Amino acid sequence: MRKHIASIKHDQDDNEINLTPMLDVVFIMLIFFIVTATFIRETGLDVNRPDQQQAQVVQEEGAILVIIDDTDDIWIDNRIVDPRAVRANIERFHAEDPDRPVVIQTGRTSSAETLVTVMDASRLAGVYNISIASQ
Amino acid sequence: MRESVADQLNEEEEAEINLTPMLDVVFIMLIFFIVTAVFVKEPGVEVNRPTAMTAFTPESGSIFIAVTANNEIWVDRRSVPPEGVRAAIERLHAENPEGGVVIQADNEAYNEFVITVMDAAKAAGITEITLAAAPP
Repeated sequence: MRKHIASIKHDQDDNEINLTPMLDVVFIMLIFFIVTATFIRETGLDVNRPDQQQAQVVQEEGAILVIIDDTDDIWIDNRIVDPRAVRANIERFHAEDPDRPVVIQTGRTSSAETLVTVMDASRLAGVYNISIASQ
Repeated sequence: MRESVADQLNEEEEAEINLTPMLDVVFIMLIFFIVTAVFVKEPGVEVNRPTAMTAFTPESGSIFIAVTANNEIWVDRRSVPPEGVRAAIERLHAENPEGGVVIQADNEAYNEFVITVMDAAKAAGITEITLAAAPP
């Protein structure tokens, strides 16, 4: 009896599945997925693009209107403002009434760089509610 | 001599490393990478991003659309006419409904086309729109 059990055990040992090929395959798959895992981390600014009607409502409510014209000039309150002075201007309006959102009106041929500059200035001034309108 | 060799073989067999825990770990890692593998479709062009001090990393951005300096719109390694942007975004949105849109606009790109892309993304039902900017 004892010998019989021993022989069964031995048999089982011999019949053990060889895991090595599966392990190879699993490792190859693991390496494939690690390599193809593209951890793209793009930084940026979030954009709020309201509908046409919403934009009009926001403007009527007295938003801080920043106009970027076709030649990349920035207009605030009917004056041309230097890109570096946008933050100070928005800060002034923000201090008067902290609830006022910023609405950026962009010209067709204005550059994206100017748009991002104005958005950045507005966020630095503490106004995170930024809407983009087109002329 | 013969017995000594047999002895050694026997010992080696007993000293064999148990691979099961490692196999478990490897499988867990494999499943993790398969699940997290978001096959991001890159636009296929390199643009000069504007810089912004307040740039942050958005939670979800997997639809990348580039607007180049010559105002070409690139989606998924192809140049797309402005009218075709919405269809392209809708196709990518169907593949990955969780992802937001990231617009990689060049410094020189016209806002007309940037806003066209924004409107196309909104029309496709995506509210999470990010304008790419590099931190200085």
